Amino acid sequence: MFWPKRIGSGIAAIAVCFLIDSITHHSFGSYEQRIIALVGIYVTLAVSLNLINGITGQFSIGHAAFYQVGAYLAGFISRRYITDAGHTPPPVLWLIGMILVAAAGASIAGFIVGLPSLRLKGDYLAIVTLGFGEIIRILVQNTDALGGSYALDKIPKIQEIWLIWLLAFICIAVCRNLLKTARGLTFLAVREDEIASSAMGVNVTRVKVTAFVLGSAFAGAAGALLAHYEGLITPATFTMDVSFIILTMVVLGGTGSITGSVVSAIFLSYLPEYLRTLKGGDGQPLVVSGTAVVAALIVTVLAVAAIKTVLNRHLFTPQKRGLIYVGIIIGAAMLEPLFSLLLHPVPMLANMQVAAAQLRMVIFAVTLIVLMLLRPQGVFAHHEFSWDWVKKILGKGPVPSTEVSA
Amino acid sequence: MHLVPNLLAALNFSTLPEQLVNGLLLGAIYALIALGYTMVYGVLRLINFAHGEVYMLGAYVALFASYHLGFGPNSTATSSSLANLLIMLFASMSICALIGVIIERFAYRPMRGQSRIASLITAIGVSLLLQYGGALFLPNSPPPSISENVNPYRGSFVVPLSSPPPSLAIAVKQLGPEAETKNKALQDYLASHPNESEFSLSPAAQPLKDQAQDAQRKLDDAKRELANSGVNITIRNGDVIIFFTSMVLMIVLTYLVRYTKRGRAMRAVSHDFDSAALMGINVNSIITFTFVLGSALAGAGAMMQATFKGTTITTFFGLLPGVKAFVAAVLGGIGNIPGAVLGGLLMGLAETIMVWMGYSRYADAIAFVILILVLLLRPGGLLGSDKVEKV
Amino acid sequence: MSLLKLNEATIRFGGLIAVNKVSFELKKGDLFGLIGPNGAGKTTCFNLITGVYKPTDGQILFDGKDITGTPSNKIANLGISRTFQNIRLFKALSVLENVIVGGFLRNNTGLLSSLAYLPGAINETEEMKQEALRLLDVLNLRQVANVRSADLSYGMQRRLEIARAMATKPKLLLLDEPAAGMNPQEKEELNVMVKKIRDEHGMTVLLIEHDMRFVMSLCENIVVLDHGEEIAQGPPAAIRNDPKVIAAYLGEAV
Repeated sequence: MFWPKRIGSGIAAIAVCFLIDSITHHSFGSYEQRIIALVGIYVTLAVSLNLINGITGQFSIGHAAFYQVGAYLAGFISRRYITDAGHTPPPVLWLIGMILVAAAGASIAGFIVGLPSLRLKGDYLAIVTLGFGEIIRILVQNTDALGGSYALDKIPKIQEIWLIWLLAFICIAVCRNLLKTARGLTFLAVREDEIASSAMGVNVTRVKVTAFVLGSAFAGAAGALLAHYEGLITPATFTMDVSFIILTMVVLGGTGSITGSVVSAIFLSYLPEYLRTLKGGDGQPLVVSGTAVVAALIVTVLAVAAIKTVLNRHLFTPQKRGLIYVGIIIGAAMLEPLFSLLLHPVPMLANMQVAAAQLRMVIFAVTLIVLMLLRPQGVFAHHEFSWDWVKKILGKGPVPSTEVSA
Repeated sequence: MHLVPNLLAALNFSTLPEQLVNGLLLGAIYALIALGYTMVYGVLRLINFAHGEVYMLGAYVALFASYHLGFGPNSTATSSSLANLLIMLFASMSICALIGVIIERFAYRPMRGQSRIASLITAIGVSLLLQYGGALFLPNSPPPSISENVNPYRGSFVVPLSSPPPSLAIAVKQLGPEAETKNKALQDYLASHPNESEFSLSPAAQPLKDQAQDAQRKLDDAKRELANSGVNITIRNGDVIIFFTSMVLMIVLTYLVRYTKRGRAMRAVSHDFDSAALMGINVNSIITFTFVLGSALAGAGAMMQATFKGTTITTFFGLLPGVKAFVAAVLGGIGNIPGAVLGGLLMGLAETIMVWMGYSRYADAIAFVILILVLLLRPGGLLGSDKVEKV
Repeated sequence: MSLLKLNEATIRFGGLIAVNKVSFELKKGDLFGLIGPNGAGKTTCFNLITGVYKPTDGQILFDGKDITGTPSNKIANLGISRTFQNIRLFKALSVLENVIVGGFLRNNTGLLSSLAYLPGAINETEEMKQEALRLLDVLNLRQVANVRSADLSYGMQRRLEIARAMATKPKLLLLDEPAAGMNPQEKEELNVMVKKIRDEHGMTVLLIEHDMRFVMSLCENIVVLDHGEEIAQGPPAAIRNDPKVIAAYLGEAV
């Protein structure tokens, strides 16, 4: 009964991907199509980073490096083989081939970056991964064959949105599968306590290296898809900030929660585009004044302080707490115009016009800070989506706390 | 390997001393910033990612101070005074100190009980907020810079290290008059033959030109040889000020940390947080003090960099120096104050030498390479020690 | 039949000699106690045996093999497992999951099988789950199988650590202060459980403990350490009356 079921769900997944693809093509223009493609790529990036950070507990914050290695590797080969040499292989097969090559290349980078994790912990490891990421970026930037600091262009455009989302599905499935088996528990064990894991016979080295290799392979695969979707890649696409954005997605979703990574990846990668589409009263892109931005920031600080005091001092029931949070947020929203008014006399701020789209990184930064202050375990914490969980929310039936349970 | 001799042949050793001096100057600034990182890590075990942004804001403070003193973009003021510089320095240091305290109070203090990763992420968030939030409010493009006129000590002096052999000077002296004569002969000829120009001479006159060119070439060669054989260092007055001010600040800091009660308390907190609290030390006040010191030093470094080096300022310009200074702190031994100074100077030298060797494109990468090597091979840094986890 | 033998095992940390030429031997099936005042080097001995530290001198032999300096995850493979003085459970995992991690050592499904969730991995996970449940029965923890281990009471956490260590199917089980923080009734139950572990599961047990009555009633052989050195060895009756032991714990008679 296993194989028919398994093949069936595989076909269903591919069908869903094709569905996404065709809906996208029929309902949206190329701008929206690109957004959906990017969202799919970010889902893969976030889930693959979560494997390293959240599930195995290794703080890797240079994930964009693996993304970059995959993109440049695939882009370079395609450019040489197709554009320059003039071959014309069947596009989808070629793209799949490039994905595999990119994954392999990125996993080598992942292996190298993962090695320090065997000796370093916590914030030291984080800095080293960041450092490796920057070294890779600088090396690529200074290699003229890869376009240097300009761009690697003329990559043959092979835009297969269904494949992008299929990769995301596979990434999610692999992580989920891992966590449903005993082997996955060893990854969590390494996260929880390395010494105890080792004493129980877990090969901690192998676990860590596996996590890095898998995570980086998926990121590299996503990179290959990006390169062929855009037809052109530059080092600017893979800066430290991109690593931080992916990190924000994982942290917001909840380290260790695959569901959380998926949801927050979708939310956060769509957000900047959403901001760009906001229109002001005159039909032009929305522009806010400097006073509004500063007022919003001040009000956020106050709201966070209020929520934190509530969190620390009292033990309310979850329902009551939820009401208090909502109350604080509404209060903050109402105070904002007040502060705006107070700040109006400051000429520098009043005259400043800020396009909504510019607020993107500021929103990411504020999200990170607020998250860490109020709910460091992320929105979903360690929970995963499951039908049992839905039942719990609706108040029916007990819930096993983690995947593998009696 | 053929690589090494070719490498060495390409290097111009006569410029090395000057580059070493530049390296030390660069290193002095890195050291000032690195001290902030190392002190905060010492008391809080936190990598203050946002420290580079405090540095950046210090530069903006100095910029706006210079505007207020009358040296804005449209001003015509040309003379300045020491007082102006001191005002700018004081402004940068004090406002950076304030910013540092605010960051600590609102972003780091609430995170004190949490895991170090959570604090690191918070610090990253603050860093991004200052960079991109600042970009909304502060002038970024075109990137401004502090007017040269603010610096009353423009100018430089030359320190000759070794004088060239006298034979070269004599050669130049000898070749001079001959070149002059030959050139004059050519010019006289051209003056008396208006229908001919230097580029279309009659065959009879060609030798004149050849000789003139020859003599000139010999003279130029001799002059160049002279210039390259003597070793001189050109030092700008501003550089001297940077170096001395940095030294003074570091000495003051060392005094504060070693010989005052607060400094002792700081060292106690960096050894053992809880014990220090049990001994009656007001840990919060000491941590605030640490941030004040570190941020003020960064502000000083920023003011000097922006004023005397004229660097253009953007809200992202603290990122790279911040990272390099962090590596400097790690190199010297994070948490170790003399280590930060040593690390800073070494980083400055390393970077300058990379540029001197012709690898300026990779000058930034060297910082990360050093970082990784140190963390893997000797995490305690040059002046620190290794630690073992107890089971 | 000698199972574990320490031969003048020594470790120095800088100037401090934490364990100084300690020798003792366990036979298969022993219930062996390692006691001594605080700081005597007992946990350090455990760390030497389990490969957390490498001895600066001396030898450790297990089941005929020299295991001096073998790294800790290989030690488990060889058949030695342990609990910790400061409980080291996998806090975010449930009770059952903690034990399953212990059992993972003796499995052999490949990585790919897990990643692709193939029948091999599925079946083996199910088997490990059943085995873990059986172990929980032995340690009386079945009813909390799905509780997050961090939420357990202290006594239960200690028992969980034992269950987890047992899951690795060791020949030798090292228990570091298993009775710490337990009330008298829990200690009674633990006493019975440890005997059962030796009798029914065939594991030799070496334990560190401070509670004298517990040790005397449970252990068949005892070695006493003080300041890193071994000062007495023998059955409980001999140890109880040994003047050196009394002096170490209570000080010299005035």
